[in-house]
Amino acid sequence: MGFLRRYLRNPGAAIGLVLLLLVLAMAGSADLLYPRDPLALAGRPLQWPFQNARFLLGTDASGRDIAAQIFHGARISLLIGFVATIVAIALGIIVGAVAGYYGGLIDDLLMRVTEAFQTVPSFLLLLVLVAVFGSSIVTVTLAIGIVSWPAPARLARAEFLTLRNREFVQACRTLGLRDSAIIFREILPNAMPPLIVYASVVMALAILLESALAFLNLSDPNVASWGNLIGHGRGVLRTQWYVSAIPGVAILLTVLAVSLVGQGLNDALNPRLKPR
Amino acid sequence: MKITRRDALLTGSALALSAAAPFVLPRAAWAQGTPRRGGTVTAHMQGEQRILNPALRASTGVYVVGSKIMESLVDLDGKGDPLPVLATSWESSPDGKTITFKLREGVKWHDGKPFTAADVQYTAMEMWKKHLNYGTTLQLYLEAVDTPDPHTAVFRYSRPMPLDLLLRALADLGYVAPKHVYEGTNVLENPANTAPIGTGPFKFSRYERGQYIIAVRNDDYWRKGFPYLDQIVWRIIPDQAAAVAAIEAGEIHISPEGALPLADLDRLKKSSNFEVSSRGNEGNAVMNTIEFNFRRKELADRRVREAIIRAIDVPFFCENFLYGFAKPATGPIPSSSPSFYPKKTPPQYPFDPKKAEALLDEAGYSKGADGKRFSLRLLPAPWGEDITLWSTFMQQSLQQIGIAVEIVRYDAAGFLTNVYRDWNFDLATGWHQYRGDPAVSTTVWYRSGSPKGAPWTNQWGWQSEEVDKLIDAAAFEIDPVKRRQLYADWVERVNTEIPLWMAIERLLISVTSKKLQNHHNTPRWISSSWADLWLAT
Repeated sequence: MGFLRRYLRNPGAAIGLVLLLLVLAMAGSADLLYPRDPLALAGRPLQWPFQNARFLLGTDASGRDIAAQIFHGARISLLIGFVATIVAIALGIIVGAVAGYYGGLIDDLLMRVTEAFQTVPSFLLLLVLVAVFGSSIVTVTLAIGIVSWPAPARLARAEFLTLRNREFVQACRTLGLRDSAIIFREILPNAMPPLIVYASVVMALAILLESALAFLNLSDPNVASWGNLIGHGRGVLRTQWYVSAIPGVAILLTVLAVSLVGQGLNDALNPRLKPR
Repeated sequence: MKITRRDALLTGSALALSAAAPFVLPRAAWAQGTPRRGGTVTAHMQGEQRILNPALRASTGVYVVGSKIMESLVDLDGKGDPLPVLATSWESSPDGKTITFKLREGVKWHDGKPFTAADVQYTAMEMWKKHLNYGTTLQLYLEAVDTPDPHTAVFRYSRPMPLDLLLRALADLGYVAPKHVYEGTNVLENPANTAPIGTGPFKFSRYERGQYIIAVRNDDYWRKGFPYLDQIVWRIIPDQAAAVAAIEAGEIHISPEGALPLADLDRLKKSSNFEVSSRGNEGNAVMNTIEFNFRRKELADRRVREAIIRAIDVPFFCENFLYGFAKPATGPIPSSSPSFYPKKTPPQYPFDPKKAEALLDEAGYSKGADGKRFSLRLLPAPWGEDITLWSTFMQQSLQQIGIAVEIVRYDAAGFLTNVYRDWNFDLATGWHQYRGDPAVSTTVWYRSGSPKGAPWTNQWGWQSEEVDKLIDAAAFEIDPVKRRQLYADWVERVNTEIPLWMAIERLLISVTSKKLQNHHNTPRWISSSWADLWLAT
């Protein structure tokens, strides 16, 4: 309970949580409110929002209901966000934990590989991966996860470096625990808070990366994602700007929500802010 | 909606009156008034060109620049009939195997050397026959070019060459390059390919990669007193929205290639500062295709192909998605080609989803429990927003009759490789560009025997001896009336068998500032010399 109270003490975090729950509700209710395929031709193309009661948010250049695509798109964006974040954080933890815990040659080797990844702009690497492996939703999500792991890896390494010589770790060693048990059962739980906070950053970035890919017409065209809708509206930007603006606002709010929640978690998990 | 001539004139006068010298200029502003000399016209180019020499590369993007600098043997007039340029007259022997061109005298290359029959001979044998796309097919049976005197070129063919086909094709495929520049060099790597030397009204000046190309007035041009302009600048603007902004700000005068977004064309059409039309682009029709891979057993069944065509409401698409800038096609020859468009309408398959479903049931592909019959992979070409819209529309339409469609996107190289070399597709869609004569641009899509990997050719896994025979007969038929009939028979045949389907036809839309005069007055105007183009103040 104390945790929740500490979290809600920050008004920004509370707003973020409400927004995120709203997006989750949209994703959950998409099939109930818009049971039809969101990519099916629904009516005359390029109808403005609020002009036709059937299409509250209007239709895009292919005559598809924008509202339906926003609701169904919430699923895709959240799915990409969650899965890509899990991939990135998991990879980052494994690399960072091994490097930080063992140090020495392994550390040098792993950190040089991480730096090699960090020197290449992640979006360029993403473009290459998508060009090579195709642009289905699975490959796009995995590719986003793969280009996002170096930062969590460095974070995890830093945490492990400070924790590995603490007394409780030394105690575990003298008790004869295996390395894997020390890493995952003893150190990792203590290293988690900053990683959980950072996960929200990765998730926001993942949603933005997918949108950028879709803007270049390189994301999976067979799913209703917000990015695809923005990319689709590019051709009519000067005349029917709402086609790109509506999903743009949706992305903005979701990314904002995720960042605010991350900020709130940071405050709530920070032991120094704990009331004594 | 349409801008009347009166509006145009009023705007022209208003523009002129606002200028400094009202007592001379109102006359100059009239379309038929005295042409004004001087000035720079800025034109929009969408993409970079690797080669600017139209004797080596037949493509609208090359012609837009190259045709001002180099010249062809003939051009086409307002009615689509051949017009003398570097050739002054021509005749064919009765058997159609020898065609003699008389060449213009007193023409000089931009470097001062005289233009002679040796240049024609060299270009025909070394460029048109060996390297020029479409040209290699057209000149396949060209044996030699004789030059009995410096101003006569005699083309000798081993099989009859219809004179009307050759002349119509030479407007695009008959650009002459200077022999003294190319002889003894690697033709494809010659620096003159990006800094062309020609006989045209404008001389190449500079090409700054990614930014602009400049050509300046040729004072020694053989048409005395031409051109009117001092300079032409092509600005390379790949981004469509930026190009629209530039034309609205008056930074560019003309966007000739149909490269602007349809939504913006629709908006600019209502402005009185621009002419938005397909006038002068009649020679360049674009058709949206539906390409079938016959290696998929479902698609090898004619009934399935007919069902797919019947499932798509093409008139609805043209009206609502393409802003009425296009119309349904009736076959591989577009209606903008009056010399070949069949008089009798060939078999058509209008929108009829019920019939489509019946055809699929009859072919043995009934709906499964999930409402699906089978699924197909559709590869859209990555050029043109209309192709993106069209592929989505196909996906939506086919879904209605129980065919699930997965759209698979590739970049340009990936698309060409997957469709035309690896045959890794079920359905594909792109553009067929019609260039005035079916033998030049269209029959290769249907004739068997194209090498694997040749883009925009028959790679469908389909072959018909009868169609091959008709194509060959028409290519060697020297009587224009019989030739037209052969093509009508051919259209009838391929519309019945449906090896592929040309669903939509449209002309490239140019956006032109009303300040330009004498523009778009021939069917291939954007690929013409622009010698008589002038700029009102």
